[in-house]
Amino acid sequence: MSWNRVAVVGAGLIKFGELFDQSYEQMAAGAFAAAVESVDHGFDPEQVEAAFVATQRGTLWGQEGIGGNTVPSAIGLAGIPCTRIENACPSGSDAFRVGAMAVASGVHDVVLVIGVEKMRDKSAEEGLLARAAAGHPIFTRGETAPVLFAPFATRHMHEFGTTPEMLASVAVKNHYNGARDPYAHFQNEITVEDVLASPAVCRPLHLLDCCPQTDGAAATLLVRADLADRFTDRPVYVAGFGVATDHPYLHEKSSFVGLKATQLAAERAYAMAGLSPADIDCAEVHDCFTITEILDIEDLGFVDKGKGGVASLSGETALTGRIPVNTSGGLLAKGHPIGATGVAQLTECWWQLRGDAGDRQVDMRHGNALQHNVGGRGSGVSVINILTTNQP
Amino acid sequence: MTGGVQLLAVGAATPSWRLPATEVGAAWGRAGGRGQAAVCAPDEDTLTLAAEAAGRALAASGLQTDIVDGLWWGTTRPPFAEGPSHAVLARAVGLSHRSGGALASGSPHAGVEALLAAADAVGAGTAQVALVVVSDAIVPGLGTPFEARAGAGAAALVLVSHGGGASLGPRVTRTHPYLDRYRGDGEAVTRDLYDGRLFREEVFLPTMRELGEQLGALDVDRWSLPDPDGRLGATLARQLGAGTPASAAVYETVGDTGAAAALLGALGALDAAGTIGLVGWGGGRATGITITAREPVRGAVLVADAIGGGRTVTYAEALRARGQLVSSGETVPMGVPPQSAQFVRGADEMLGLLGARCVDCGTINTPPSIHPHCISCGSAKFVLEPLARHGRVHTFVVNETMPAPFVAPLPLAVIDLDDGARVMLQVTESAAALELGGEVELVMRRYAHERGVPVYGYKARTVGTEAR
Repeated sequence: MSWNRVAVVGAGLIKFGELFDQSYEQMAAGAFAAAVESVDHGFDPEQVEAAFVATQRGTLWGQEGIGGNTVPSAIGLAGIPCTRIENACPSGSDAFRVGAMAVASGVHDVVLVIGVEKMRDKSAEEGLLARAAAGHPIFTRGETAPVLFAPFATRHMHEFGTTPEMLASVAVKNHYNGARDPYAHFQNEITVEDVLASPAVCRPLHLLDCCPQTDGAAATLLVRADLADRFTDRPVYVAGFGVATDHPYLHEKSSFVGLKATQLAAERAYAMAGLSPADIDCAEVHDCFTITEILDIEDLGFVDKGKGGVASLSGETALTGRIPVNTSGGLLAKGHPIGATGVAQLTECWWQLRGDAGDRQVDMRHGNALQHNVGGRGSGVSVINILTTNQP
Repeated sequence: MTGGVQLLAVGAATPSWRLPATEVGAAWGRAGGRGQAAVCAPDEDTLTLAAEAAGRALAASGLQTDIVDGLWWGTTRPPFAEGPSHAVLARAVGLSHRSGGALASGSPHAGVEALLAAADAVGAGTAQVALVVVSDAIVPGLGTPFEARAGAGAAALVLVSHGGGASLGPRVTRTHPYLDRYRGDGEAVTRDLYDGRLFREEVFLPTMRELGEQLGALDVDRWSLPDPDGRLGATLARQLGAGTPASAAVYETVGDTGAAAALLGALGALDAAGTIGLVGWGGGRATGITITAREPVRGAVLVADAIGGGRTVTYAEALRARGQLVSSGETVPMGVPPQSAQFVRGADEMLGLLGARCVDCGTINTPPSIHPHCISCGSAKFVLEPLARHGRVHTFVVNETMPAPFVAPLPLAVIDLDDGARVMLQVTESAAALELGGEVELVMRRYAHERGVPVYGYKARTVGTEAR
């Protein structure tokens, strides 16, 4: 495929958590500073030609009309071109894709992709839970976020014998990883028993099957690949990406054991990168709920359909497993500040590819890492980015 | 006077909860209390009960709903104090946009008023098929003596100009401008009688005796008599020499169902040939009429099932469902205001539960208004049709974490209907029995009460469970 290659020369994030003491603008400034700081040969912020901001819901912190102008001012770059991307849970990964395309197109040489999300400025009732009353007055009424995924758990258990323990093993693994990630919201290890004993949130999912509500921000700096050596001797490249959509309502799904949007996006991303699932060394995937990670690793081709639960329980996706998944702690432990999530996942991939992941470092045999989000009504949109250390 | 007005079929419905009188008595420091009352779950009201009874009567009649000429609905308290109560019910039971009829309300006498108005329309030839629905879900004043007896229920009749198994007989009516139970303008709950003995001795018994004696001259075999306080019904029956009225067992099971009481107390007796005399009262009026069955009336055999069962609940549950026990704090508003365009666009498809069947591939898309193109093949050619009201659970969840006004646990199920359509709907209280592959039927329920507007739609109810 002929497109101008893109390199990631900087990436960083702020410590995720309930950041009651930080404004949206302060979080954005913190993430941008972290990304600038990470550039090996130094980076002058004035080099940023354009910014792409992922914020999924201004409504969650009281600025309903947020456009692209909030972030440039907050990071001291007022006046630069800035576009806000909202594309449900993959907002961050889609902003990255759009930023990469802006560079690949030749229009910009250096762009900032930054995800910022305030999830906790409003109470849960007025925030995420209010979704129960949003959407279609009958056909989606009562549809809080877990309702989007719990029906898949019910059906996956029925068709493949997946057990609550297998679901729980995903949370146990991701909390283990999160306990080794200084940026994670939760840094404590948990057990399968802890998960099963936690309160029911949306049967069959327990509290610890669900990711928390987390504030956070993350940023990456993208440049034309042929300019990368100005910034670093250890560049990471964008190998490819894929995006796909599916019908937006749950009752329109033909299958409740897989997410079609992920499957289609994966096909496209692998084709663009010229890679197959076996070439991926580690993956940051969308584990908003434990069942989601099980669906993801099947739909991304890491394990056969129906085997995700067994694979998780047997450690195939652990740090030392065949295909380490969510080494950062994932959404379950690191947190899910929606717009920031994808960008933070890409930051983890960047660290793993550069060997900078500390206690979480896994063996990067092929030099390829995959990042994935899925979400929106009916999990109808998925975005996948694949990063590599291999020269284009 | 009613000419050749025939009764073709009947149906009944009661809400899914039962509140023992002892529960109410205990709350107010009163010993004892006899029997129980049927009370509404949070998603039930007079309209949902009416829709269910009407659906059963229409199903028993074997008629297509679109040939019904009108709906005559009697309910003390329609769901919209002012608003489209009649139109919503007509659409919910599948009547055509050309159907007529009337809404009688304002007192429990509304039930017989609706029956007589429908009979007159059929008798006069302005309607060939008339649907009569009587329903109530009284909200009683807290701590009133009649609170424990305030029930809820609905009965429905299909009247035709010819071909039914029963006929409507003569009627007798009395009117006196006295105050019995009433609800003042702007008041939320129904007040009790001012003076029980005054009502009994000077109002109720004299009026009813006069009425009953006149009706009794007509060889009545069974009676449905009002019983406002749990004793007067028996006293009246004794004075009329009526034996134990057919309605006594109904009152015992579901309490005083207001506008529905006279018919609900009578329908079960239509399972056999004979003449039943029924009396409705309220708002200073009393009316009696006879129905003579030449053979068992269609649907009558199912009435006992519709009255029995139900889950026993606590006083607190009943109060919360009636909106008399309200949590403090804000509730989450509905994203789509119930007066807004989506409800205008979607009224038919939500209340009539319509699907769009793709002409090219047969896939049913629901709801039609959000599917200009088929989800399976992309075609834009559709035929609108009502969805099947029965199916099986493909998958489900039980949502345990909900902000007010939602009440957890809230089950939601993805259902494969018998016609091949797939829908996702909330599940009624029957959810304890939810299982993959399990049978469900779709029933009209109140999804929300938003900005003063009740919002109705279908929910799934598991089939073959005790809770109804």
